[in-house]
Amino acid sequence: MTEKLIELKNIYYSAESDNLSLSKKDTTDILFDVSFSVDEKEVLGICGESGGGKSTLAKLIAGIFNPTKGEIVLNNKITPQKNKPREIQILFQNSSDLVNPYRKINTIINEALKLAGIKKEDIETEKKKLIETIDINPALLIRRGLGLSGGERQRIALARLLAVKPKVLILDEPFSAQDITSQINFVKLLKKINEDLGVTIICVSHDLKILRNLAQKIIILKEGRMVETGTIVEVFNNPQNPYTRFLLSAESLELSYDELQNRN
Amino acid sequence: MLKVNVENITFTGDGNKQTLLQNNKFELSKGKVYTILGKNGTGKSTLIKAITGLLNENLFKTKGTVFFDEYNLLTIESEELRNIRLNAIRYVFQDAITTFNPLKTFRYYFENSNAQKADIVSLMKYFLLPSYEEISKLYPYEVSGGMAQRLSMVLAFAIKPELIIFDEPTSNVDYAISNLLLLKLKQYTKEENNIALLVTQDINFAEKASDEIAFLSNKALSSFKKNSDFFSQQDDETLNAIVNSYNEIK
Repeated sequence: MTEKLIELKNIYYSAESDNLSLSKKDTTDILFDVSFSVDEKEVLGICGESGGGKSTLAKLIAGIFNPTKGEIVLNNKITPQKNKPREIQILFQNSSDLVNPYRKINTIINEALKLAGIKKEDIETEKKKLIETIDINPALLIRRGLGLSGGERQRIALARLLAVKPKVLILDEPFSAQDITSQINFVKLLKKINEDLGVTIICVSHDLKILRNLAQKIIILKEGRMVETGTIVEVFNNPQNPYTRFLLSAESLELSYDELQNRN
Repeated sequence: MLKVNVENITFTGDGNKQTLLQNNKFELSKGKVYTILGKNGTGKSTLIKAITGLLNENLFKTKGTVFFDEYNLLTIESEELRNIRLNAIRYVFQDAITTFNPLKTFRYYFENSNAQKADIVSLMKYFLLPSYEEISKLYPYEVSGGMAQRLSMVLAFAIKPELIIFDEPTSNVDYAISNLLLLKLKQYTKEENNIALLVTQDINFAEKASDEIAFLSNKALSSFKKNSDFFSQQDDETLNAIVNSYNEIK
């Protein structure tokens, strides 16, 4: 039995940018009337071209920004509690940069577990589980961020989020700096986290072919508007919106200049 | 024409001497798109940075020669090298956003580029960017990663360099932009007779964009092979694994 975990109702978002001149503030409208829901234990993909509002949407769901208009309703299973880590966690696009290069991985993970409220005597056991989940070599624990590859640092950043046992994991373009083998391994890892730990996953990517391998449901954003949504089979086999059809055909990299400039 | 003969590149940053690349020899001639494929962390970016001496000399030592026409870029006077970097060999880096000074708006880059404004304007339109005026007002941290990468492409193409080098050009952009870049590369090399060198892990893009491809693994680059030959003769285990992964996800 699936249940709505998060529901977005007619979300609008405009960003105010502080101009360094201090004289005036510019506002840019980013999202327009976006509504959808995410079921418990679902994997949802959000796709669209760059500048389409994907990352903004991810940050809104994560509660980093508040919508200008509209409402995000959280199921009562997600209860915001003071002094406790949030149950919706987000892995940022540049997540590998967020691992302190000068600290030992062991310390970084211990700290995350401590913040998650794990008792001192349970930290080692929890850490072992975590390392197994994200599938990294335990030998990395004694190394520092500096000596790790981007992919390894990304997994450490992910471990830090999983330490607090989130209900929902949001990922912003997690595949962009990975080679194809790493991409496939990361898809497998996310599927494992979804299936074994029951974590609901929302993944933002411009890469339709990866989302096809990962998600169950997909949302297509174009210039801040949701133009299509459906299951992977529906959207890939029978796309309704011309923009979705454009995105699918652009994957072939065989479009002409005119087709690219005059996209819908 | 670029003639690279790098005997080795060593890294001495953390006290120990570590050899990153060994015996890398290749030649690039006009009118073609060349691609270096390889997994993460094999030294692709290091190799292309070494070409114009962009590696930090305190940490990296490059032994060998890199001839660009008659100039050896590894021994040339710094003023001449600067001139070549400005006008003849341009890079578009992967993390383009960090190549811009965060305290300067894009107007600074537009106006201090050796390029004609009209060329910048038309390239911006080509890469589906907002108008020249709009972008001129923005600081690098106000644009997305993909936009910064496209702006970096615009500034590089606008100079009309003889050699244009891309580090993972498709990592931050969507398919429409990749597709536009692909068409641009063909025009830039075939019609305008320049050279493009790409390093990437994006096999799909490499296959569609390149005339010749080489594979970097175990510190050395294979010889450049014609696109069709490259994919039909996979004698390298690592490359095989990558191609298989690609087919798995396709």
